Amino acid sequence: MPAADGKTGGNMKKRKRFEEIGYEPTNVKELLTEMKDVSELITDLAYSAVIFDIKDIAEEVKELESRMDKLLYQIRLTAMLATRTVEDAEQFSGLLQVASAAENISNAAGDIIRLLDTKIENRPFLPSLLQKADEKIRIISVPEKSPMSDKTIGELNVEAETGVRIIAIRKGERWMYDPADSTILSGGDMLIVRGVDDGYIRLKGFAEGKRGLNNE
Amino acid sequence: MNEIEELFLEMKDTSELMIDLAYSALLYNSREIAEEVFNLEEMIDELNTNIQKKSVASAVNDGNVEKALVMLRLANCIESIADGAMEIADVVLRDIEPHPILKMSVMESDTIIARVAVDEKSVLTDKTLGETKLTSKTGMWVIAIRREKSWFFGPDENTVLKKGDIIFARGPKEGEEGLIKIASGRKRRI
Repeated sequence: MPAADGKTGGNMKKRKRFEEIGYEPTNVKELLTEMKDVSELITDLAYSAVIFDIKDIAEEVKELESRMDKLLYQIRLTAMLATRTVEDAEQFSGLLQVASAAENISNAAGDIIRLLDTKIENRPFLPSLLQKADEKIRIISVPEKSPMSDKTIGELNVEAETGVRIIAIRKGERWMYDPADSTILSGGDMLIVRGVDDGYIRLKGFAEGKRGLNNE
Repeated sequence: MNEIEELFLEMKDTSELMIDLAYSALLYNSREIAEEVFNLEEMIDELNTNIQKKSVASAVNDGNVEKALVMLRLANCIESIADGAMEIADVVLRDIEPHPILKMSVMESDTIIARVAVDEKSVLTDKTLGETKLTSKTGMWVIAIRREKSWFFGPDENTVLKKGDIIFARGPKEGEEGLIKIASGRKRRI
């Protein structure tokens, strides 16, 4: 924001200094929010990779794992730079503990996908092991002609309407992970979803053109 | 479902509940919720020990070492996830107020945690969680209920909601408003 003339320069300087002090914690917040999001996504993806034996998803888990390493490093540096007092240090130590916990969770997800290195005949029980959980991970195939086609995830408000979260989509040969609200769904998509039974049945029925998304 | 599958399911569900509770403890700076995370960790340890015994027994029975190893490793991974939840909850149990950024991060992430009171007029009152289909209608998954001084952690479909209950639920930001409307009685049909 350039000063319009010399007279406001003094004020500008003051404001700028204020913003600079405020800048570091904002940054820590963004880093921590991303770490929380990734730690939750990566566990869902790791279980999906193991349940459906999908190597592409396993690769994404590995990438997210190294992304988490970088985020943890950045948040440590940023927190250190923002520390001014003993109170700051005490509070940041708790914050960094949460960040490191999120990273440890991601490492555990990374270890889960390493189970795929075992011969498939030695892990026949894995799909069923995880398929009866409270919130199940399942696949929905969107038919070529579907009322879901050409709609965005946000427009359908999928998660709030059904309690089912789309964690990955395969479009042709390409995978999209943690799709945004603006992601357009198309006929032929394969969705990996996580959620409760009745919401899943509703979403699947809707994808197949058998019912509305939110009526009984 | 065989016994070992049941143990794994319980372990996975418990570890996920622990994570949700750990973030709730941070958000609401609640020692009670944080302590529950530590209680659940004991359950995880017990489940892990049981799985270890069963895995070893299965290898002895059928001689398939690789298969037993997969079971042991998966149980260890879930245990590590639960440990992560404990590390998070531990921050709340210190005598230092958690950094305000922690709260903001939980509020601004993809998955949020909402806290709402069940009003007398609400359609939720005196219904079981299963009957309300709350999760599939709002996207919000109930992780804890506080009724006056007592807590129900990880309620199931048979848990009955009462007026005055405080519900803690995890879900997308877009789901919070719907939950508030239903719990406050402003929306009469789910």
